[in-house]
Amino acid sequence: MSEPLKTNSKLVPAARKDGDALVVSIAGEIDLNNSPELRAALMGLLQRSPSKKIVLNLAQVPYMDSSAVAVLVELLRKLNGGKIFLTDLQKRVQGLLEVAKLSTIFKIVPTEKEALA
Amino acid sequence: MTTSPRPSNPPPLRLKITSDPATLASTRRAVEMFAAQCGFDETARGEIGLVINEALANVIRHAYQGATDQPIEVAAQKTDEGICLSVRDWGLGVNPFELPPKKHDPMKPGGVGLICMRQMMDDVQFHKQPDGMLLTMCRCRIRRKAPGAKEAC
Repeated sequence: MSEPLKTNSKLVPAARKDGDALVVSIAGEIDLNNSPELRAALMGLLQRSPSKKIVLNLAQVPYMDSSAVAVLVELLRKLNGGKIFLTDLQKRVQGLLEVAKLSTIFKIVPTEKEALA
Repeated sequence: MTTSPRPSNPPPLRLKITSDPATLASTRRAVEMFAAQCGFDETARGEIGLVINEALANVIRHAYQGATDQPIEVAAQKTDEGICLSVRDWGLGVNPFELPPKKHDPMKPGGVGLICMRQMMDDVQFHKQPDGMLLTMCRCRIRRKAPGAKEAC
């Protein structure tokens, strides 16, 4: 069962609760200028809809920098043993995650559907 | 596979910006466009853009401690082997390579920008100035670090 959630940032155009997972679509280029907005949006969603499993669909994120990475890591720490799935990565984002060795702490899967399987 | 554009002979790029994070995206795009004129392929241009973004973000966060109205000068020039970038600031003048080394822990924030610089550029140097810092970073079109690559610079 899927329940849409309201979001208050254009960086997060859609979010929903799907079973026990919080599924969030992120859109746009994320750098130090707007990563605080992304942080506020994601933390707000987690607060309103607590979950131990978050699926972040990054299909509409052509670029992110280390400040965006820091937001994702902070979100993971908030989950206290929960899991974050990153799906639909574009090439540049995948490259950054590899350099930052984040594939060891996030579950990187090709599609949202696979993350929810 | 990405194709490399034919290198042209662009005049050096010089940008005077402020330490406002809102300047990051346009500066990154200008440097990526310059890298294209220097003959770098799409993947390399993306890495060069990320590196300049990280260098500027470090200046904003650390050298200027978040102040958004301080001067930064960015320059890029084509070399025989590739591209050289420089970032000049008038901030605290701390060389991050002289700080005690920390093992990278993906669960702890920080350090990713420097890792990108080291991995994505062939030469990275911080030159302390009497009133700040000058960072220079160069990358070859053919990287000597790449497995099997011809040593070009």
